Amino acid sequence: MIAGAWLCLLAPLAGALLITLAGTHISRSAAAWISTGSVFVGFAGAAVAFLQVAGENVDDREHLSTAYTWLGVPGFKVAMQILVDPVSLTMMLIITGVGGLIVWYSMGYMKGEDEERRYFAYMAFFVFAMLMLVMGGNLLLLLVGWGLVGLASYLLIGFYHDRPEAVAAAKKAFIMNAIGDATMALGFFLLIAKTGSLDFSTVFAAASDGSLSSSTANLVALGLLGGAIAKSAQLPLHTWLPDAMEGPTPVSALIHAATMVTAGVYLIVRTHAIFEAAPNVQHLSAIIGGVTIIVAGVIALVQWDIKRVIAYSTMSQIGYMFLAAGIGAYGYAMFHLMTHAFFKALLFLSAGIIIHHLAGEQDIRRMGGLRKVMPFTHAAFLVGALALAGIPPLSGFWSKDGIISSALAEGGALGYTLVVIGLVGALLTGAYTFRLYYLVFHGEPSELVLEHSGGHGSGHSYGQEDAQSHDGHGHAEGPLSMLIPVGVLTVLAAIGGLVVIPGVWEPFLTWIDGVAEPLVTPTVAQEYATSAVAVALAAAGIWLARRAFAAGRELVADGAVRTTLEHKLYFDELYDTVFSRPAQVIANRLRTDIEEPIVQGSLGEIGAGVSDAAVGTARLQTGLLRSYALVIAASVAVLVVVFLAAR
Amino acid sequence: MLGPDTTWYVAVAAVLFGIGTTGVILRRSPLIVLLSLEIMLNASNLALVGFSRHFATVDGQVFAISVMAVAAAEVCVGLGLIVAFTRRKMELDVDTLTELRG
Amino acid sequence: MGNFLVWVIWIAAALACISTGVAVISFTNPFYSALALIGNLASLAVLFLLASAEFVAAAQILVYAGAVMVMFLFVIAYLGGRADAPWAGGPRWLQLGAFIVGAALLMEVIVALATKAGGDLSDGEELSRSFGSPAEIGRLFLTDHLLAFEITSIVLLVAAVGGVVLGMKSSAEDNA
Repeated sequence: MIAGAWLCLLAPLAGALLITLAGTHISRSAAAWISTGSVFVGFAGAAVAFLQVAGENVDDREHLSTAYTWLGVPGFKVAMQILVDPVSLTMMLIITGVGGLIVWYSMGYMKGEDEERRYFAYMAFFVFAMLMLVMGGNLLLLLVGWGLVGLASYLLIGFYHDRPEAVAAAKKAFIMNAIGDATMALGFFLLIAKTGSLDFSTVFAAASDGSLSSSTANLVALGLLGGAIAKSAQLPLHTWLPDAMEGPTPVSALIHAATMVTAGVYLIVRTHAIFEAAPNVQHLSAIIGGVTIIVAGVIALVQWDIKRVIAYSTMSQIGYMFLAAGIGAYGYAMFHLMTHAFFKALLFLSAGIIIHHLAGEQDIRRMGGLRKVMPFTHAAFLVGALALAGIPPLSGFWSKDGIISSALAEGGALGYTLVVIGLVGALLTGAYTFRLYYLVFHGEPSELVLEHSGGHGSGHSYGQEDAQSHDGHGHAEGPLSMLIPVGVLTVLAAIGGLVVIPGVWEPFLTWIDGVAEPLVTPTVAQEYATSAVAVALAAAGIWLARRAFAAGRELVADGAVRTTLEHKLYFDELYDTVFSRPAQVIANRLRTDIEEPIVQGSLGEIGAGVSDAAVGTARLQTGLLRSYALVIAASVAVLVVVFLAAR
Repeated sequence: MLGPDTTWYVAVAAVLFGIGTTGVILRRSPLIVLLSLEIMLNASNLALVGFSRHFATVDGQVFAISVMAVAAAEVCVGLGLIVAFTRRKMELDVDTLTELRG
Repeated sequence: MGNFLVWVIWIAAALACISTGVAVISFTNPFYSALALIGNLASLAVLFLLASAEFVAAAQILVYAGAVMVMFLFVIAYLGGRADAPWAGGPRWLQLGAFIVGAALLMEVIVALATKAGGDLSDGEELSRSFGSPAEIGRLFLTDHLLAFEITSIVLLVAAVGGVVLGMKSSAEDNA
């Protein structure tokens, strides 16, 4: 089991290294197979570990395996260790499973791109980094994984490095993540100062038995929360996620939907002991989650780019997870993380098939009527959309309603506000998801669609085609390597929620509860009551979207509200004015006042000074014999004085 | 001891030495430079002889003889150089020898 | 009376020495400078005699004034008009520096004498009759200072060879 876990961690790293070192000596498809294979090998390792741990007693499920001492100074020791427990196993399975499917999908999607091998190396590297994050046995290794996924995200968003928008988006993502990294690091410094260690056991024990003062706990929790907000794109550090859609679609699916952005939720669940010692910060995270649900939801109502709608939807759903973690419903937070990974990856990959089919078009105003042209994708997308909206018996229903009912069980001002927010969010989710669905799939086929519906191969300029795409009607939508993963994810999105049926069967919750004891548990009655209301609201949202589509108008009418939403609530403009412009001004002033005159000037002066000194010294070489004689005689005169004085 | 004491001898030697140095640096004709060099050598001879008389040892005079021999050898070579100048139609001016200029 | 005479001759010789020295560096014509140097050597010989260095004085006249200076005069005569060069010239600082350095060295010796030697140079030892005789000098040359003697002879040999080499006519140059 430990071997399985180590295999899971190291296989993607080996794959990435192999592709990197082999360079151009291996073919592109070989690189793709290595990458996909290594991730699936990791999945096999995780599955083996899972089966063994699942068979164990609830109390024995935490395993810490140490490889060697990485950092050892007197007073502080950090070991290279991995933690295998239910929470990390869940994440491992999701990362390698969904990740493996997405890398497989990329084989078809990225075929024919320039620098394909670099992409697959980065993808394997990302999987390794994310696994390091969730499997790290102490906070320092978690931080290492945290930073590495930030790096992988930067590399993959900026994959199309000739495009300035992609490069700018990559920088933006990295910089905003760096803010989170900094707050986390500060929190860790405080922990080292107070407890002398970053091991989970030491730190969590200190947090739960009260040996951390409340101000320390608050500060550390705030630091952790800052990191979680940046990584998971919650308000106010959310502006990088829509821009991150500049990366290839599988990247958006893997990193910015299924795994990396959920790292913040994992962090809160893992360090729940610290958050429970700082309840105000924990409730703050719930409030931030709630605000993000609403803000992201309304912005998604006016977006025209298919990927950006899904991106804002991700932001909104992670808000639900933060809400759950913030009130202590850790099991439901992880459950929603899992179901969200399924249906969001499904939505992104289906969107990818559409984009691939339409030769790179992402604007939904130019799509329409794809229902008849791409039936398989239509079915997959519909399943994903229904799951997202929370319609039973699909997966999203079980998890989202569990969160809202936990808020109800929490009670109090906070709990009831969060219930309202969650329900409004359900309404919004149904509305924006199905606005997207109707605009893309229903109505008359647009010109663009008609152009491309003569077969997948005609006049196609977006990369080479997989040979299989030419034969047979069922494969006309895309290559098999793209269709099979979508099919698998469709099945998962449909049945993946059935591991928690309140009142009947809750193995997933018991699985997580062993690690993170929930603070609130809703009763069965609360569960079904909230479910009924939430489903009704989601259906209402779907109905509103349908009505607006049938009438040919938008859900949000033109006007001040729409303009504000289209500008994403002016967050980008705000950050630009408050941070970016002053920074540029300061940098320019520093350049003109300090860098150029002083630093560069001094270097120039040194050079000129040396040169002048050399020229001056060269004047001693007059070539005149007599001047040399004079100098010799003068030196003798001086030396005589020196010797006389010295004696 | 008859006559002036050693201080006077050394003083005269010092004056001669100064005159010789001035001549070496001042004059441009290599012949005069050589002559000034001779003055300097003779000055040191005078000092040597004066000190030899003071300490009543003959070593100073022995040294003076050696100096004289070396001076003769040096003059021989120096004059050979000057003759070589004229052979090559060069001007007898020390300031024209500027190969070391840099 | 004897002492007085010695003093008079000494002063006269010293003055002659110094004035001929100044004359050497002052004349434009190298011939006159060489003659002035002969005078300098002669007055030095007188000073040597007064310092009981008889052999050195004789060697001075015979070798220095007799052979070396004659060699000089030969070369000056051979060069003839070509030996004339500008009196001085060149950079101002050079001319000024020459005087300054000469004066500096002079002053330093005087100062060193005055401060360090003090009155030590006033009394000398008694001299024997054969103080500066050739026998004494020869004895030292062949016992204590044998190495100096031998090396000096080698130096003279080298100088002779060098003189011959420098004076050789090489085949290329005298065709003009």
